[in-house]
Amino acid sequence: MIPQAVERIVPDSVEELCALLARCDAAGTKIVVAGGETLRGMGSPPSGHELVLQTTALRRIVSYRPADLTIAVQSGATLKSLATRMKREGQFVPFDAPKPAHATIGGTLAAGWAGPRRHRYGRPRDLLVGSTIALADGTLAHAGGIVAKNVAGYDMSRLYVGSFGTLGVLLQANFKTLPLPPVARAFIAPLPEATRSRAIAHVRALAVEPSVAAWIEGFTGLQGDDGLEGRLFLLFEGTQALIERATRDLRSALGRAGVPETSIVDERARDLFDRFVDASISTVADRSMTYRIAATPDRVEACAIEARDHVRRFALDADVIADVMNGDVIVRASRRDTRDLALKFQVLDDALHAVEPRARVIAGDHPMRPALRVWGDEPNAIERMRALKARFDPRATLNPGRFVGGI
Amino acid sequence: MTASLHERLRAALGADAVKTSPEDLAVYAFDAYTDGRLPSAVVIPADTRAVSAAVKIAREFHEPIIARGAGTGLCGGAVPIVGGVVISFARMHRLLELDVANRRARVQPGLVNLHLSEQAASSGLFYAPDPASQRSSTIGGNIATNAGGPHCLSYGTTVNHVLALEVVDEWGEVFTTDVDDAGYDLTAALVGSEGTLGIVTSAWVKLLRVPEAVRVWLAAFGDIESASEAVSGIIAAGIVPTALEMMDAVIVKAVEAAFHAGYPTDAAAVLLIENAGFEDEMQACESAIESIVRSHGALSWRAARTPAERDALWAGRKGAAGATGRIAPNYYMQDVCVPRSTLPKALRAVESAAMENDIVVGNVFHAGDGNLHPMLMYDKRDARQVGAVLATGDAILRAAIDLGGTISGEHGVGYEKREAMTRVYTTDDLAVMARVRDVFDPQRSLNPEKIFPSGMRCEELGPVR
Repeated sequence: MIPQAVERIVPDSVEELCALLARCDAAGTKIVVAGGETLRGMGSPPSGHELVLQTTALRRIVSYRPADLTIAVQSGATLKSLATRMKREGQFVPFDAPKPAHATIGGTLAAGWAGPRRHRYGRPRDLLVGSTIALADGTLAHAGGIVAKNVAGYDMSRLYVGSFGTLGVLLQANFKTLPLPPVARAFIAPLPEATRSRAIAHVRALAVEPSVAAWIEGFTGLQGDDGLEGRLFLLFEGTQALIERATRDLRSALGRAGVPETSIVDERARDLFDRFVDASISTVADRSMTYRIAATPDRVEACAIEARDHVRRFALDADVIADVMNGDVIVRASRRDTRDLALKFQVLDDALHAVEPRARVIAGDHPMRPALRVWGDEPNAIERMRALKARFDPRATLNPGRFVGGI
Repeated sequence: MTASLHERLRAALGADAVKTSPEDLAVYAFDAYTDGRLPSAVVIPADTRAVSAAVKIAREFHEPIIARGAGTGLCGGAVPIVGGVVISFARMHRLLELDVANRRARVQPGLVNLHLSEQAASSGLFYAPDPASQRSSTIGGNIATNAGGPHCLSYGTTVNHVLALEVVDEWGEVFTTDVDDAGYDLTAALVGSEGTLGIVTSAWVKLLRVPEAVRVWLAAFGDIESASEAVSGIIAAGIVPTALEMMDAVIVKAVEAAFHAGYPTDAAAVLLIENAGFEDEMQACESAIESIVRSHGALSWRAARTPAERDALWAGRKGAAGATGRIAPNYYMQDVCVPRSTLPKALRAVESAAMENDIVVGNVFHAGDGNLHPMLMYDKRDARQVGAVLATGDAILRAAIDLGGTISGEHGVGYEKREAMTRVYTTDDLAVMARVRDVFDPQRSLNPEKIFPSGMRCEELGPVR
């Protein structure tokens, strides 16, 4: 999405980055801030910039005190590098974002990514306790600290989450860490249409809540079968005793719903989870468009069906993930045949927003993307958001046009 | 001038929603920390429209606007420092919607924290943030301070439980925020802003399922260091209980005298540990925690076997502040948060600060979070003691900052700690916060003289470079 002709700078130090920002801001040079660029399919493509500033060289773990359950890390570190380090101490932070080997902490936070385990562990922003940011003019500002609780002043750190780098360049993030559950077990079950509603209701009522529960249709790469009937994907995490209990309860619940069989994945459960997360932004070359629709858990099945049927009505292929715990519907529309594809994406965009105004594009490289309502309907407080942008970045130096409402 | 302010407010809100007599106003001049000036008027609106009308009228008269919940705050956050119109939410106290299927509730800001959990209980749900004041403090006040509580160790503070807000702004206009909306996370910015960015008039909050099994344990120690190390030991074993509270000898004795909760009065420190989850794993969890605390030299170990025993152990903890009335007529509760592993150092610093100033100190706090609440006992009629308490409180702040901690873990900055903000933040850090204020409250009419240090004038606050 970012044209390669544009100059790319990867500062080696915070000082270098701040000096560069100050220079650009003074000279009126527009900058795109990039991390691992794994979520560049979210939001509006940047426009009119002359420079890409990439944070990937700032990737140090600044402080990690496992006994304090806190970690401070530079924003260019990858999710995987952080996860690997924390795993050695039996800890984690639930980022749950795609492509963790490339995705950076800064990019994941800037995009406001909130994954399928958030009903259980919270959003990444819920565990964020402090931050350092470089403002557009190169000024450094800190917020919060490296302690579990902190209410000294405004919660600036969380305001930066989901801001797509339009308020400043995130340089450091401090998190609370969580103990890594010792055991993970995944379940995959075919989900014939006749059993679906009841199975989903039973899963939502389980005493031991799954960390992930999703109805998947399509995304055939995910498990390798034909996917025609749809599948139920579940991940449980906890102690061995809890997993055994969950297994018994689940089998009984799915049996009562008429689900014919359930297969268990133990050793590769977390790999399967990673692939599940990756699927949500996987594209079909430049011929697909993926939306994330924010429904409520009680409406998720109906919303997924409606979205899927709209996609099919325009003779497009539909792949759907319905996150039954959080209420997200991820729907990917694609087509091998590119004729009329631009027009189809446009009418589909209207149809999906009629299903739920909060429908956002999260992946898709088709040239039509800038013309779609990639952010969903404008939020109620859009004018205040514009005013915030103007107060933080008055020359609109950072990520011009990338954010909601043209911010 | 004043008369017409009163007339306008009465005309807009109804006479019974406006208080103007000095006796009535006096009730709203203070909170649990300090008192300020008499407000010009107190309004008790019944709905969002009335809040909006009151704000518009107050603005016309250049009156500051101070939103107020139950006034249980401990840092002067709800006090009208320079007078103004106080908006009380005593009438907006209802649970508006209980959405069981999606485990959330829409509430008015005046709803008492505990009442929400009580009303959700029959649906098997509860609201997790539980400040010690939860019997009287309101959800609106909790949102303003991003309130914590013992169970925030595993559930997180208020900000993690707020999903959407309806807000009246400085101009009296209504806007809404939602964590699932596109755009900036204004919900996060508003939670903890202590009424300086807007006035919350309703909120969607997250509810959690009532856990299937709950266990409460009490471990006594011969010294505070061992108790602190046991806390670290539990965390290091990968166990984050739902609550991990510590009380020192001063508090234990006071609590035992008041409540007969069954705390061992010969202990230098006790840990109150709660875990919630499933029966299937509780026994293993109990054994693991017991063996950790015993390996750190616990003198005794008790498991509450019945809900009544559990409640008794908790009653002691929750009533700790009140129980100190047996030690001194007044107490000042400090609130700092330090990295968990520095707890022994922090507690030693608290003790030496109190000793130096000849003040009795009791500690009752959220050990799992490293969130200290030293209670300094004094008699406010004695000027020496008042001075000594202030000096001790200040020394504790200094010690917490030196250990890499912060000046407030969960009570807020309010009026009390605004000057201390410069000790943890640079001028640039504060200027960035002020930019947010510039957008939402450029006139500084919402809860003035709070959070930001008094020396910080507009021209210093980061003119756009």
